[in-house]
Amino acid sequence: MSTSFLENFFITLILYNLLVAAGISIYGVVARPSITKKIISLTILQDTFNILAIFLGFKVFSIPPVLLELDSDIEKLLAFTTSAVDPLPQALVLTAIVIGLAVNLFLIFLALQVFRLYRTLDSRKIKELKG
Amino acid sequence: MRKYFVLVSIVLATVVIAYITTYLRALGPIGLDTRYLAKLFLMLTYNPVYRELTAMSPEAVTSIVWDFRGVDTLYETVVFYMAIIAALTIYRGVSYSSIWGGYGLSLIVRVVTKLLIPINIAIAVSIAAHGHLTPGGGFQAGAVLAVVSVLLAVTYSASSFIKLGVSLSKAVALRSAGLLAIALVVFTPIVFSALTGVQTYIMQNYVKIDSSFSFPTHVWNQLISGTLIWLNLAEFLAVSFGFFIIFMLLSLREEVVREQIGEKDEH
Repeated sequence: MSTSFLENFFITLILYNLLVAAGISIYGVVARPSITKKIISLTILQDTFNILAIFLGFKVFSIPPVLLELDSDIEKLLAFTTSAVDPLPQALVLTAIVIGLAVNLFLIFLALQVFRLYRTLDSRKIKELKG
Repeated sequence: MRKYFVLVSIVLATVVIAYITTYLRALGPIGLDTRYLAKLFLMLTYNPVYRELTAMSPEAVTSIVWDFRGVDTLYETVVFYMAIIAALTIYRGVSYSSIWGGYGLSLIVRVVTKLLIPINIAIAVSIAAHGHLTPGGGFQAGAVLAVVSVLLAVTYSASSFIKLGVSLSKAVALRSAGLLAIALVVFTPIVFSALTGVQTYIMQNYVKIDSSFSFPTHVWNQLISGTLIWLNLAEFLAVSFGFFIIFMLLSLREEVVREQIGEKDEH
């Protein structure tokens, strides 16, 4: 089973789009002065890399990695292994999502505390303030 | 104007480079075959023939998450735990019992929410209990149940938590109970080994090549996949009440928090 030129083109386009999204979100984290926008960019960066990881396990004309029949027939299991997508990136992304969520929560609460203390979330103004 | 020019040029450059790469077949074949490791995991996820290597769960992702790479997930749970500890530290000294909110949204919204919440809870429990059979699991179920706390805070106001008897300390206790349950499942093989002298491994699910210890894989002819169902349910408890704590803290009114923490407006 092979893919047509158009299918290949769209798969490649998705890959490049993810790289562009990663680039834009890194710009957001580094260059935007607002802490809120930095956090939003960071979440976009996390999701981009998660989709990139899923993309690595992607396979055309595939089925989800869930066995539908529970029997010990090796022939059926072999057919399953050749038709299902790679489950490892999915499992790693699940872990990455939870860790990303924990990091985001921590950053949000820190930002809230920064706002309570300085009454601003602009990193340029915070730099000038003392105490 | 300059911004639009940059955006349009990025989009055009992406499309053109993708076209050239596809035309030259520079990336090679994409998405036509899975890696050997993936085939191994798929082969061993539910395989009664290779008893020493299987996880006895038809859901390959859950097998990897809680069996093949179980320690990863254990650390992930710890990281999530630490993040909530950090949030609670920032909010230390804030008492939830003195908060009195408004009356929430209109009657229509409140009635619809009242109908939705039991459905939401049922779906969450179902996702957690079937995590080893169908896509889903403890974390996904916890995230679904967390929606209940947001619905309560938005439609009935933050004071509804007090009316329902959900306090921060109760949520922390339930969450800790979930984590303790995970620890119990993880250390059961070691305790079994200490009592009987049988060789076991930490976080062991099914029999290994030099260990005859196994959690029961079937109960009343129903597949429960050994440790997987218990770990999923415990993670469900830990994650859902972790989210409850977060949303309870975030739904507090800012003036009340400032008043209770005792921070002065200096700037």
